[in-house]
Amino acid sequence: MISNRFIRPFGLLAAAWLTWSAVAMGAALAPADQEIRDTVSQAIVTLDSDEQSALVRGLAAQSAPLSLRLLTQWKEGGLHIYETPEGERIPVVLNADLDGEETQSAVRLADLEPLQDEAGRPVRLLVADLEVAETDSALRRAMKDVADMAALSDPDPNRRRKAAQDIGLDQNPDKLATLQAVQEKEADRAVRRGLEEAIAFVQLRSETPADRVAACATLGRLGSIPSQDALKTVQAEAAAAGDAELEAAATAALADIASHLTVVNTVGTLFRGLSSGSILLVAAIGLAITFGLMGVINMAHGELIVVGAYTTYIVQNIFGAGMQLSPFGFTFQLPGMNAAGSAYQLYFAAAIPLSFLTAALVGIALERSVIRFLYKRPLESLLATWGVSLVMQQLFRLTFGANNVQVDSPAWLSGNWTVNDVLFGWNRVFVIAFAALIIFLTWAALNKTPLGLLIRAVMQNREMAACMGVKTEKVNMLTFGFGSGLAGLAGAFLSQIGNVGPGLGQDYIVDAFMTVVVGGVGNIFGTVISALGIGMLNQSLQQILGNPVLGKILVLGAIILFLQWRPAGIFVTRSRSLES
Amino acid sequence: MSLPLSKRELAGFIVAAIGLCILMPLLNAGGVVDNFTLNTWGKYLCYALLAISVDLLWGYTGLLSLGQALFFSLGGYMMGMYLMLMIGDLGVYARSGQNPNLLPDFMVFLGHTHLPAFWKPFFSLPFAILMVFVVPGVLAYIFGYLAFRSRIKGVYFSILTQALTYGAALMFFRNDMIMGGNNGFTDFRFIAGADVRSPEVKRTLYIVTAVIVCLVYLGCKWLTTTKFGLVQRAVRDSETRVLFSGYAAANYKLFVFVLSAIIASIGGALFVPQVGIINPSEMTTERSLEAVVWVAVGGRGTLIGPILGAIGINALKSWATRAYPDLWLIILGGMFVLVVLFMPKGIVGLPAQFKALWRRIRPPAAEPAPLPEATPAAVVPAETPAAK
Repeated sequence: MISNRFIRPFGLLAAAWLTWSAVAMGAALAPADQEIRDTVSQAIVTLDSDEQSALVRGLAAQSAPLSLRLLTQWKEGGLHIYETPEGERIPVVLNADLDGEETQSAVRLADLEPLQDEAGRPVRLLVADLEVAETDSALRRAMKDVADMAALSDPDPNRRRKAAQDIGLDQNPDKLATLQAVQEKEADRAVRRGLEEAIAFVQLRSETPADRVAACATLGRLGSIPSQDALKTVQAEAAAAGDAELEAAATAALADIASHLTVVNTVGTLFRGLSSGSILLVAAIGLAITFGLMGVINMAHGELIVVGAYTTYIVQNIFGAGMQLSPFGFTFQLPGMNAAGSAYQLYFAAAIPLSFLTAALVGIALERSVIRFLYKRPLESLLATWGVSLVMQQLFRLTFGANNVQVDSPAWLSGNWTVNDVLFGWNRVFVIAFAALIIFLTWAALNKTPLGLLIRAVMQNREMAACMGVKTEKVNMLTFGFGSGLAGLAGAFLSQIGNVGPGLGQDYIVDAFMTVVVGGVGNIFGTVISALGIGMLNQSLQQILGNPVLGKILVLGAIILFLQWRPAGIFVTRSRSLES
Repeated sequence: MSLPLSKRELAGFIVAAIGLCILMPLLNAGGVVDNFTLNTWGKYLCYALLAISVDLLWGYTGLLSLGQALFFSLGGYMMGMYLMLMIGDLGVYARSGQNPNLLPDFMVFLGHTHLPAFWKPFFSLPFAILMVFVVPGVLAYIFGYLAFRSRIKGVYFSILTQALTYGAALMFFRNDMIMGGNNGFTDFRFIAGADVRSPEVKRTLYIVTAVIVCLVYLGCKWLTTTKFGLVQRAVRDSETRVLFSGYAAANYKLFVFVLSAIIASIGGALFVPQVGIINPSEMTTERSLEAVVWVAVGGRGTLIGPILGAIGINALKSWATRAYPDLWLIILGGMFVLVVLFMPKGIVGLPAQFKALWRRIRPPAAEPAPLPEATPAAVVPAETPAAK
């Protein structure tokens, strides 16, 4: 029995695992494992290369994780052969217990028994004295086959599909039988499809012309993007050999794949357009309130977004290790909760309402101190708020530094779904869902709450609302606070998909204003339509032109022309007033 | 035609013109004013032209254009193209023999071997000067025609000009525009055959700038006192009434827009040889807004205000960015807020404001900066509409 003293947290992981399994199971190995160990041990000491390969291939029938692990260890030179004084060659696994004399103890590969001399004491071995279990190319090919088979029976369907794809790409006719056998047993639809693709791939190299034609047809039907190059080769070969039927089949398949590719690209572009439209929407929705409903040109809107983003950053640090801020030479320390794991991941849930609140408070302060004097002078509110935005940018720089700060995305935002070759990133899906939620909440707040009623009343007819006893000053303040809070939400949200720095707001302010103007001032629904439209247009142009900047310039041009056609935006708020 | 200046204004103008155009260069030639100071003043005067162009639109016509920095840089770029071609065989690549066609360095760096066709005419200074007028003028005409035809006004006009500037800056940042990309143009050597870095040339450029500022001042002063100027201000105060009176307000606005684009462009064209660099960061909305600050602080709706504002704030900036680099933006932004809230007429309007204040609280001395009438005027209707 090997004592725990030999187990170290470092060294060969596999060796540690073997040691552990020995501890856990003692000498009583499971029969299946025992069989694998015996086969591998036998293969290692076999001298004939063909026989060795045959033994290894025999493992494919087992395809247990253990055989894979042992073979990998073998391939990487992790197994050794110990020759006893009697001339017996024993495959061994060294334990990670190197001592001062560079010697190690070892266990037998076959039964995990410690290597002992006749007296029953553990044998200490010098690595240099041992023969490394070697591999040649035939053997490595055999190992690869076993690995492929193992991958094809992996419990995770995604890995099975990936394995099928890899095998197919090799176009090795020897694998055909295996693939077909696996396909019969496979239950998962996506994997069966992958296997079908792999088989067709292999069949492209088939000796039988009919099989090749059929393979072309299958690949075309499946819309197999990776097979394009292979099909082109087949097409060229068929043309050279004068095989009209095969050439036609390959051409048809390529056309099918090309049209599938168009669909994939279009759907991908639409999805990206939807998500970048959602980003715009989130950045602009607060502006749709302050500018659209209240008529205040708030150039500091971008900085309110940044307030939200930095709030998220601070919350993250409070959940983490805490932080130190030193604006204007004063230093103060924010304590950290040192949360880890899923508790830390929760920081974002806490950051969302806090970003809203912080930005709303800053917005209310701005409204009380500057904007309320300028309701009658919109151009001047533009200028004053621009001054505020300069001051705020500089304050951010002095507090958080001029460089971008690191905001971690929760783990559940990285990753993606692939549906029919179209990639759906989770963060983009999140973007869209978040935007939809914000729009719904804004709509509900404006249409289903008493405050919303007051807001709409004051924005439609201030004097009349005041006559009915509405405190218009207070409603102004709350409306502006609400719009600013939405900007803060946008900040929390943008911190998850881009950099957070003092200039973050400036990146969005022009786009946000454009969105609101195109949508039609005073109409939230118009903002939604225009944000999604601009996002789609932007992404499509990028896709067509292959150049983001040029696309953006064209979008700006398109917006200017669009306003020629509809100067008041998509949705016009009709009014009898002459100057509106 | 009589001079559009009152006697006092005329006297002030003559003193200022003699001081700027004759005295300063003389003092410089005599060694009293050093070259750096003179050059800095030349820069301020270019900014003054930009400020006048903003004021002509904003102060007199009620159009807040955030695109003036674009026109300013366009003028600068036109002049810069000429200056780039004048470098000739003194460029880095030419000296190491890798530039047989004597292209500007950045083109060689980007792998061009021949001068693009649109660059070729810029070997001629008169052509470059012509383009300083034509390019911004045409752009302003097209944009203005589209904008004013569909009656885009007020903040919408501001936001659209902001988008125009933003789009143009994005374009100039691109290398395949062949306009120097990110780095723009720099390392100028000669202008009209003379070394652009020598004190004599710099002095000449300063004199030209000062004279042009005086001429533009006089021209604008004249324009604003004619019937045209009257309609212009009427458009600012109530465009609808102007329309109902039978004036094509759009044409007036278009003319002012093109004119101010050209004034800004001249400012830029004079700015580049004196400062020695032009790049797309001059083309941003922030630059336009900075020019608006100069006008607001100096006093909009006057012509002397923008000049005072441009010189004053830039002098303050030169000092503050050295003394308090971290605080400059806060000073600028804070000043802007205060001016908008409490000094709607800027420095030029201060005497009148103080006079009004003096009349209200006669015997005791005036407080330094009390709330002006703007505050109650804005608050009262909101609070007491029921009383109407």
